[in-house]
Amino acid sequence: MQLIIEAIGFGIATGAVIALGAVGFSVQFGISNILNITYGSLMTLAAYVGLLLIEHGVNAWLALVLGAAVVGVVSVVYHRALLAPLVRRGTRAIAMVIVTVSAGIILQYVIVSFAGPESHSYGEQSGSTLHLIGFTLSAGQVAIIVLTASLMLGLHLLLTRTTLGKAMRATSSNRTLARSCGISTDRVSDIAWFISGSLCGAAGVALAITTVSFDFSLGSLFLIPMIAAAVLGGIGQPYGAMLGGLIVGVSSEVAAAVSNPNYKDVVAFMILIIMLLVRPRGLFGAAWSTRRLMEG
Amino acid sequence: MAWEYYLVVMLVYLGTDLLAVWGLNLEFGVSGVANLAYIVVVAAGAYTFAICTLGPSSGNGGFQTYIGGFTLPFPVALLAGALAGAVVGTLIGVTGLKRLRQDYQAVAMLVVSLMVATVVSADTGFLNGSAGLALIPNPFADLDPEVARWAYVGVVALCCLIGFLVLRRFTTGPIGRTLRAMRDDDTAASAAGKNVIGLRLVVQAVGGAFGGLSGALLAGFIGGWSPSAWVYIETLAFLSCVIVGGMGSDRGVSLGTLIIAVLLLQGVQFLPQISSSPGLSEDFGWIILGTSTIIFIWFRPQGVLPERRPRYLRKSSSQSPG
Repeated sequence: MQLIIEAIGFGIATGAVIALGAVGFSVQFGISNILNITYGSLMTLAAYVGLLLIEHGVNAWLALVLGAAVVGVVSVVYHRALLAPLVRRGTRAIAMVIVTVSAGIILQYVIVSFAGPESHSYGEQSGSTLHLIGFTLSAGQVAIIVLTASLMLGLHLLLTRTTLGKAMRATSSNRTLARSCGISTDRVSDIAWFISGSLCGAAGVALAITTVSFDFSLGSLFLIPMIAAAVLGGIGQPYGAMLGGLIVGVSSEVAAAVSNPNYKDVVAFMILIIMLLVRPRGLFGAAWSTRRLMEG
Repeated sequence: MAWEYYLVVMLVYLGTDLLAVWGLNLEFGVSGVANLAYIVVVAAGAYTFAICTLGPSSGNGGFQTYIGGFTLPFPVALLAGALAGAVVGTLIGVTGLKRLRQDYQAVAMLVVSLMVATVVSADTGFLNGSAGLALIPNPFADLDPEVARWAYVGVVALCCLIGFLVLRRFTTGPIGRTLRAMRDDDTAASAAGKNVIGLRLVVQAVGGAFGGLSGALLAGFIGGWSPSAWVYIETLAFLSCVIVGGMGSDRGVSLGTLIIAVLLLQGVQFLPQISSSPGLSEDFGWIILGTSTIIFIWFRPQGVLPERRPRYLRKSSSQSPG
């Protein structure tokens, strides 16, 4: 039983990072209707940018902010220069997936060419371990949970209390109608991609902080759980992605604790496939969004 | 001598790549089935070939554990590999039957591919986990090595010839037209009375058979097979050949395979070796692959040799066709 409680604790820590990434992925899909598989390699990029900064003596949390900003900018440029023009020309959705997967491969192997295939580490995390309600978490993990929670709160406030947030929600819901209402959808898209790209970068650096060591496959390893979380919550719904992240994180860790740890990732895979086959709109996807997901 | 060996390797790889690309083209280019888990059928064929030709797992000192071990002759094992590819292809096809957006299905297929690889790697008793299977017997082991190598090239060439003839039965003629109709508008095809679901499953079975045969031939040549040979991005390599060459066109994708698999991926081997990064040429290969795919989708999505749209003779009339 103690094992399961500890696993739940780990699950919350992992789930927080997965939620962070899943929200960014979900926002990108909501705004542009693209399943951006390059997301994984962008997280890897952030992790390595963070590594570079840390090796030059920058504090890990500042490195997280800078890494997030770098990937935010890269995401905006990527969307503007490659993805948006292809969509405008009427490229089919399947071709867009192939493009984003290919871009992810290119980015991943460019990183390998520069940084090498060996594992790297951010180094020993100093700080105490905390014991809360039976969970045993390191200070770093708690910090990540707090960070994720504040970023989610910030996003919530942005989406609900600001005009920009309203514009983002409108563009997400019906782009043409939003444009008819005078919303500059291109600019809103750029901002949305910067925000979601920053979340992607933050998730990448956070992953590198919480794992003992990582290599160039970091992003692609965690991308699937993030997509699973996003789909579970209802793709395009940031709040769903947050809850989805927690569910995926906790269930993976608990499953690993009670059975073979090698199968930890399989839980996320199964969640994703079952959701796609049984209920593609996710737990919180509205019925109208099913139109987007079915043949079209 | 080294040149001769290199040529043999390249020819075998070309042959097996052609078989796989033909299968994927049948599924994706001709029939519109986005099977991004294609590499799984190749792996199924390779593993089945291995467990058919290997002896029981306790043999060779028992350093690998796996199911099967039937010590069957080479041709039987090849057929078994193709059959396994067909079965696995059909199973994958069943999961893709729900009518989702194509890109959702594509991502689901990628996840299936990743999941199968994870499960096979994790379960050490099934197919020897992440270490894979080794010491797969070569059918020509008794012959002089040079003759044995060229004999294998001959076998691959024969399989390609037979495979191509079978392929043409599906990509041309009435079946080909039906498949293309299904690809272009499956609702219309269904309304015209075509059994779209049945056709999809048949196509995935046949495409899977091609992939399985490809994997079986490859496993027999290399003598080993492990999960590192079929990471989920390998499907992208085949997809790249299809897109660059010309989706839906057999000649096109054959040319695409020649360009990508032979010219580009082998060409990078000849770049000057940078001693600090020994794996650079392989990484570069992937970068080139991804870049070519994106360049072609951007500039020339129909590929180098586009699919020829059928032209039907107009009925002669007093007016000239205008």
